[in-house]
Amino acid sequence: MSGKASSSQSTTGFGSGGLSHVYIQHQPLHCSIRGSRGLFYDDGTKLLISTTSNQVISWKTVPFSPFANPTTDSISEGPILAVRFSLDEKLIAVQRSNSEIQFWLRETGEAFNQKCKSESESILGFFWTDCPLCDIVVIKNSGLDLYAFDLVSKTLILVETRKLNVSWYVYTHESRLVLLASGMQCKTFNGFQLSSAGIIRLPKFEMVIAKSEANSKPVLADEDVFIVTIYGRIYCLQIDRISMLLHCYRFYRDAVVQQGSLPIYSSKVAISVVDNVLLVHQVDAKVVILYDIFSDSQTPISAPLPVLLRGLPRSNSLTSQSNGGESESSETSNTNDHETIIYGDDWKFLVPDLICDVANKLLWKIHIDLEAIAASSSEVPSVLEFLQRRKLEANKAKQLCLAITRTVILECRPVPMVAKAMDAIVSSYSLSIKTGSFFKGIKVERSLTGVPNVNSTGSGTDVPTSRTDGLGKSIKYESNSRYNSGLVNRSSSYSASDSEDNGSSEPLKTISDNTPEAQPSSLQSQPPGPINNLVNPNVSEQQETQLATPAISPDEMYKFVFAAVEEEMVEEPSYLVAILLEFLRSANVEKVKVHPNIYVLTIQLLACSDRYAELGLFIINKILEPSKEVAFQLLELGRENLQTRKLGLDMLRQLSLHHDYVLLLVQDGYYLEALRYVRKHKVTGVRPLLFLEAAFASNDSQHLAAVLRFFSDFIPGFQSTTDFCAYHRVLGEMNGTITV
Amino acid sequence: MGLSSVSTTGEGLLLCVFDLQRGQQEGQELDKILFFYPADLPFSTQLSVIGLSEGLITFTRIFSPEAACEVIEAERHSHVFYEAEPDIWMVMVVEKNKEAEAIWRIDALKELLKEVHSLFMLFHGSVRGILEKEPSGGLTRSHLYPFIMDYLRDFFIGKKLQLPSFRDCLKERRTVQMLTVGREAAIEVQTLVRILESCAGNAHCSSLILFQDLLVSTTLSPEDTINLFTYAVLRLTPHALSSGVSSWSYLRKGYSSSQVAAGSTPAPPGSVLERFYGSSDTSPSGDDRYQVIRPLQHGRWSKGKDGFLITEIWGPDVGSLDLVTPTISLKQTEERMYLCVYQYKSLTVILLIPVSSILNGEQGVSVVKQQILENASLKILKVEEKLSKGWGGENAYHVSGYRYLLVDDSRDISRASPPGKVTTLTKESLLALNKLREEVDLEKNQAKWDYTVHDKDMEMCIRAKNNAWVIARITRGKELYMVLEKANETLLYASDAVEKFSNRYCNGAFSSD
Repeated sequence: MSGKASSSQSTTGFGSGGLSHVYIQHQPLHCSIRGSRGLFYDDGTKLLISTTSNQVISWKTVPFSPFANPTTDSISEGPILAVRFSLDEKLIAVQRSNSEIQFWLRETGEAFNQKCKSESESILGFFWTDCPLCDIVVIKNSGLDLYAFDLVSKTLILVETRKLNVSWYVYTHESRLVLLASGMQCKTFNGFQLSSAGIIRLPKFEMVIAKSEANSKPVLADEDVFIVTIYGRIYCLQIDRISMLLHCYRFYRDAVVQQGSLPIYSSKVAISVVDNVLLVHQVDAKVVILYDIFSDSQTPISAPLPVLLRGLPRSNSLTSQSNGGESESSETSNTNDHETIIYGDDWKFLVPDLICDVANKLLWKIHIDLEAIAASSSEVPSVLEFLQRRKLEANKAKQLCLAITRTVILECRPVPMVAKAMDAIVSSYSLSIKTGSFFKGIKVERSLTGVPNVNSTGSGTDVPTSRTDGLGKSIKYESNSRYNSGLVNRSSSYSASDSEDNGSSEPLKTISDNTPEAQPSSLQSQPPGPINNLVNPNVSEQQETQLATPAISPDEMYKFVFAAVEEEMVEEPSYLVAILLEFLRSANVEKVKVHPNIYVLTIQLLACSDRYAELGLFIINKILEPSKEVAFQLLELGRENLQTRKLGLDMLRQLSLHHDYVLLLVQDGYYLEALRYVRKHKVTGVRPLLFLEAAFASNDSQHLAAVLRFFSDFIPGFQSTTDFCAYHRVLGEMNGTITV
Repeated sequence: MGLSSVSTTGEGLLLCVFDLQRGQQEGQELDKILFFYPADLPFSTQLSVIGLSEGLITFTRIFSPEAACEVIEAERHSHVFYEAEPDIWMVMVVEKNKEAEAIWRIDALKELLKEVHSLFMLFHGSVRGILEKEPSGGLTRSHLYPFIMDYLRDFFIGKKLQLPSFRDCLKERRTVQMLTVGREAAIEVQTLVRILESCAGNAHCSSLILFQDLLVSTTLSPEDTINLFTYAVLRLTPHALSSGVSSWSYLRKGYSSSQVAAGSTPAPPGSVLERFYGSSDTSPSGDDRYQVIRPLQHGRWSKGKDGFLITEIWGPDVGSLDLVTPTISLKQTEERMYLCVYQYKSLTVILLIPVSSILNGEQGVSVVKQQILENASLKILKVEEKLSKGWGGENAYHVSGYRYLLVDDSRDISRASPPGKVTTLTKESLLALNKLREEVDLEKNQAKWDYTVHDKDMEMCIRAKNNAWVIARITRGKELYMVLEKANETLLYASDAVEKFSNRYCNGAFSSD
């Protein structure tokens, strides 16, 4: 905006301590073009656009790469007030004046104009939409014009007009929501959500502005209102400078509900959302405060800290360090060709997580430092909950969770606290199983192509083909209905989790049913809270990371936590048993299956502290569920404790592991019982030799005869085997000695 | 001599404890006697009973040095021997056939001797230990007398001592009865156990949790579990506290309260005897010479305001208003432990804290108690609620059509038809089962000396005179006794019934493999 870069505003803002929870990573995307006249960001296509007098140069910002190659399109000369690419990126729309928008077909370079009909109307802005009714929405001071684009005649067809007084508007493609301000103070709002399910008109509502004096009537400006999308829910944040509060409104289909206010410490405030974490930049104070608006809690995650610039050339070596918070890169910044001023006047915050340094023509992506956040809180359960909700850096969040869990166990922190930590992990895993996101990461590639895509970047493949067909709307509807049917399948398969999530508030649930496009977003980032809101219609970009969720399966808990700490916990086996129990309790509550190796570990721990009485109770009460692994562990311990061996044997029988059971019976000398068992359960493949040897060892000719007889009946052709012959002879000798 | 000379004073029972190492010199025979019931028998009679027993022991030891005689069956009496500690013998003489009811199973009587001795050890340590502390024997006698008398008092019905008879053949003394709990409740219980343990800091605590009169959890060795469980059911559980209310537990007869009031029934009358046993039964703490605690005294436990059970048995704490926390000694570790009992509704939580781990005595104990109140009371509440929800009442383990007793010897656990249901059996059935059990006992005792590697399996099926099936089946250490009245007459039917029962209630443990 303002091109004034005051380098006197020192760079010390971030250089002081280096501690931060939010950082921007060097290098930024350079977007300086000679002759550049304007810099725009099109959030529909996520393109950064620089314009010269006759060119539109665009950079992809998703996925973010400092080395993204620009694409250049030529347009005719003229003033440029706004530029937006159509969602399929086939067209470029340029607002030339407050009454004219010009369109280019990028393929052919054809252009045509669209003007306001009456003189009194002026265009405030426009955006492309994936709403089935129309393709482009033009916001004028007199209301909304909804146009469909006709490829054949290359004209815009007016589909619908909504007459309203509009002072200014706010729109984000992410939410598909346009808020239209009106009234003297610009605090009366009309809202429309134009999503692929159609148009939803929100009830009219007023925002709250405190008055400084009785007669003063502060006017709300567009920079005071932000639409944010968090956990698939849509919020509006409004700055109230007088009371220094950031009011928070949440949008439901039929209501707008104020949800409290956050304090602000700066007259200039900017908002970013990174991985569903709300970042409130206190621009004047040069700090950022983080909120996790998940439950109703409005306490910040962490103390206000500045944004850190990471990874400047000279200190590159430091960036790889895990404690990025201590990187002291800032001092070197003056060697860089562009001086980076944290929270400089030229910073423009783009939705949702980009910063554009207008003066230096740089684009930064905001990251949150999960490690630093995790390290700054001692409330382990809530830290774990926070980390488990992170999707963007799922891998990192997962590793952090594992490390934190290991640490609390190794430090022998109080059991109730660790129990809560277990609850957090297990319930997150259970949720990820229900929503399917746990397995999503593994086949992320396929789901991208297989699932009908509403992603703005991806949807280009579908829609344009239908357009070039020249069939216009009909085909577009078709693709849409296909999309919808695809959704029906998906939503039905997840309906279980839905109904569980919001069984409490029925009336609003219908919303999510009626807006099928709401489903995908709720699927991919579904929080367990109510999803009866006006949901984010956007399938947020699939992450590049392999994992879709930081959820930790019981198996991983075993491998990376329990087994890992076991060796160091030899001194405290009972503490570890207590923790394992808490884990089992959580798993039981969430109905999560536990791998037998956790049971086996529990048994080993109990045994090594000689707690066989308890071990018995654990088995009898099925706290440790029966399995082959468990049974064999019991049998192994049975060498020292006979009762435990019996438990193992009983378990084998109950599991119908006939072969093992029979073998052990023979080993214990119960060979006749084993034979009876073999007959009753028709166990095939037993080796007669074992039984014969056992019978022979007992030196009882009757038993030996019985065994021989049994196998003669049981196994056809046994009488012709060498075993039979050998022991038949032995039997004869035994009987011979008796008679003699 | 001759056994007939031993009169059992109309009550049909003589019970004595004596030490073979004492009184070997002429004229010092009285030294041997550590306990004798009835105490008012003349010393000459007492000595003749003991002399006879001693003679039998000495004689049988010639043939079997490791296990001297276990029982002598005379025409009118049975003599049951139990060597509680090396050379410390307990002998019980019971009169038979006085009336039909006086039919005992010897092993059941022996279990009774074992039980009273184990309980004595739990509170006072070994008899030998006390004897060594005070060789005159006075201290031992003053401990044994009130203890055994308090124990026996539970068996009085009116004025008459009623020992476990054939009517109790579907019960097994010295076993623990468990509550069957679901997985979820079991996990909750176990997490409670961990919390309890953590309440005492670094001390290695043990705990026992009971619901009603059933065991839910233990961290003690089987032997200690049985002892403490027995004591809890006798004196600590909600049933025991509200004594007088008839109980379905086999351990209590439900008449005890009337006896408590009568209190002094078997007190030795003569002053000579009083001096000999050093005890007048009526004095609350035993005797003036020795400070003797009487843990089995009735009605001495009550629930305090904070949920912990309190008792004056151990006396007041010197220098404070508080009562002394009871201590017991565990058999396995021989460790002295503080006994803290917390009760919430039907749930009784017993926490044992090593005395050695608590430096400042009563104060330290109350700190632990405070910890329990703070950390565990919520969990206790939750567990009680869960268990109550799953609890099927006192007839929970009734299986219609069956009257059964299930014993897991290796775990010392038993489960039986509720006593109320057992009483519906006819006398013939019970007598037949009693007989059958005696046979099984015999087999088992023989097998014990056979040194066989594995348990002996057996199966017996008897058609009683009243056409009831009486069945015993033993498989790998598990025993099942069963009475089927009004059953079909074929043996196949009976064995099918066992099979069904085994599959449904014993995980198929008794199924004929």
